[in-house]
Amino acid sequence: MRTIIQKYLPGLRDLESPKQYSYHTERQRSIPCGKRDSSLHCVSLRMTTKLFFLAIMLVSSLPAQSLSINGYVRNYVGVLTQGDNEYSILQNTLNLNVEHSQDMVSFKANPYMYYYDDNNLEIGLREVYMDIFFNSIDLRIGKQQIIWGKADGVFITDIISPKDLREFLLQDFDEIRTGVTAVKANYYRGNNTLEFVWIPTFTPTALPEMGSLWFPDLNFPVQPVFDNSKKEVKGSLENSEVFAKYSALTSLVDFEIMAGYAWDDDPTMHITRTIDPQTKQLTGLTVTPRHHRLTIGGGSFSTTLGGWVVRGEGAYYQGKYFNSTDPFDGDAVVKKDYAHYLLGIDYSLWDVRLSSQFIQQAIVDYDENITQDEYDNTVTFLARRDFLRETLTLELFTYIGLNNEDALIRPRLYYDLTDGFEILLGANIFTGNQGSFGQYDKNDMLYTKVKYSF
Amino acid sequence: MKNLKIQSLLAMLFLMLPLFSLGQDKPSGLEIIQNVYNRPEGNNIQSELTMTLINSRGDERVREIKQFSKEFKKVEKKIMFFMAPADVRNTSFMNWSYDEKNKDDDQWIYLPALKKTKRISSDSKSDSFMGSDFTYDDLGDRHPSDDTHKLLREEKLNGEDCYVVESIPKDEEYMYSKTITWIIKDKWIGLKKEFYDEDGEFLKTLSVKKYEQIKGFWIITESEMHNEQKNHTTNMKLQNITIDGGIADNKFTERMMKRGLK
Repeated sequence: MRTIIQKYLPGLRDLESPKQYSYHTERQRSIPCGKRDSSLHCVSLRMTTKLFFLAIMLVSSLPAQSLSINGYVRNYVGVLTQGDNEYSILQNTLNLNVEHSQDMVSFKANPYMYYYDDNNLEIGLREVYMDIFFNSIDLRIGKQQIIWGKADGVFITDIISPKDLREFLLQDFDEIRTGVTAVKANYYRGNNTLEFVWIPTFTPTALPEMGSLWFPDLNFPVQPVFDNSKKEVKGSLENSEVFAKYSALTSLVDFEIMAGYAWDDDPTMHITRTIDPQTKQLTGLTVTPRHHRLTIGGGSFSTTLGGWVVRGEGAYYQGKYFNSTDPFDGDAVVKKDYAHYLLGIDYSLWDVRLSSQFIQQAIVDYDENITQDEYDNTVTFLARRDFLRETLTLELFTYIGLNNEDALIRPRLYYDLTDGFEILLGANIFTGNQGSFGQYDKNDMLYTKVKYSF
Repeated sequence: MKNLKIQSLLAMLFLMLPLFSLGQDKPSGLEIIQNVYNRPEGNNIQSELTMTLINSRGDERVREIKQFSKEFKKVEKKIMFFMAPADVRNTSFMNWSYDEKNKDDDQWIYLPALKKTKRISSDSKSDSFMGSDFTYDDLGDRHPSDDTHKLLREEKLNGEDCYVVESIPKDEEYMYSKTITWIIKDKWIGLKKEFYDEDGEFLKTLSVKKYEQIKGFWIITESEMHNEQKNHTTNMKLQNITIDGGIADNKFTERMMKRGLK
């Protein structure tokens, strides 16, 4: 069963350039609450929990016609292989998909709950939207995940849904993607589609909190002070985001052409230095995260060549800010355009599904003082094979950073004990000393995920 | 005189030749297989497929699919929506199969977790379909010109008069070295088929359990594939069949793959 889903599914995990999030600040995780804790936060959390269950009960009592509730319950345990073998994660998840449809309208809600070993409880709605289907136009209104492009796990033209990187790139794909409140309109003509997306308010990438295993290596010479006063992008019509895409699916080739006027999901770290006038020594650093506007144009394609599938994707970003060491660059940042592109192939050999992608980011009109390399090269590789009538799957997925000679190696074994009940044993091995993967060299882990789908 | 008699006899024999061959009324192996291939099945069909995988201990796993197919001018389009088990629900698969010889099928899969439609390569015809005893190729219509066919004999099977035809693939690398098919004479339905593996060893048997006439078309509604080498069986049942019920052309698009059965 899994074959049809997975053997054609190279690279489930997302890939992100290290420099884009290496100086990011924290996002609050839930504060633990005891049963009798009467703090405002805990009372509100308990109320949310009650509302959550009330909503489920209400939905369950809707007329059964066309109503479907499905989802999964999952237990996830990870242990670090170095030091004292601490747990990297102990998490229980309930994820629901509630859907109802009639004639030309439907709705979907995807509530989720994460319960951690320290009694932390996180509740959210990954998606909640309504659909209206007309003859040749579909409208989707509400919080939704919007995924574009032909690349696997690489964000090139796929920049609409922000990411949840609080556990680096280790979460399942649908969890790394966060929903965004949007109005999406699609116009169809034959196998051609025109898509327009309007996002009224901006949502940034969710980043690891300070103190988390996944908080990036900041590498500042002195302890910086964060000034978050300019981090917020105020909700206003002027600050909304718009995207458009033309796509076609044909016998010869599938392709997409897109453009967007957006915000950079990752904040730029504006840095001001305080230097002692007497000693000329650096005495303080103030880091001010700010989001900037980006204009993006790009496209992607996918076609078959004999037994191979060849995929490509590229985009040009205008208005990206990079950190610079040039003392004449104000706030230690410089604005440059950059290009991001990929070429990938999927093929099979002796019943093994293989997939490989080469990804490059290039800064246009490069300046030697920019802290990021002019060209940043990454390769991904996937090998997967099924056994025992697709009930057992062995997989190896690897990210290799060519600039820093670092890698993340992810071997996994999936076994379906019975239909809808999956046991996963895996490892995350980080190699190298620096770079997006090398910085986590001490975070090698073994983990299990037991999942019951219904 | 003698010459005249001989000439008359030869002339008579010559005239009767076509009659002899008519009297034989035996189609060739190729003609039989072509008749099966060309048996009309309607312009469009939708149905629910239940596939039960049964292992040697009798343990069962069930897969449910809702499928739609339609004949267009030069292409047959098919779309499948996976309904069970739960972990693959809302996955869909689309196949465009061309009349043009040597043109590979186009295939796409929509994965709801990724929210993405992926083009996939159709070179996996010998792969098992969802872990069953059927390969992707077993489920498609193999073109008669891909094999060399030979009528072996005629015999009764399950009370039906059948032709028994041996088919040997022209491509020596093909996953089967030989198949033998029992075909009901007046209906052009393959009632049973034996498959031999690449080494010529007996591999598996397909047995048709039930066929029905729906809107004048003969449709196989239940069949079973038993793998002798692995002692594993797959039962395939079609239900809620609608033939020529009218399926919109736009059913076979990315839009519908993503929308699912809504």
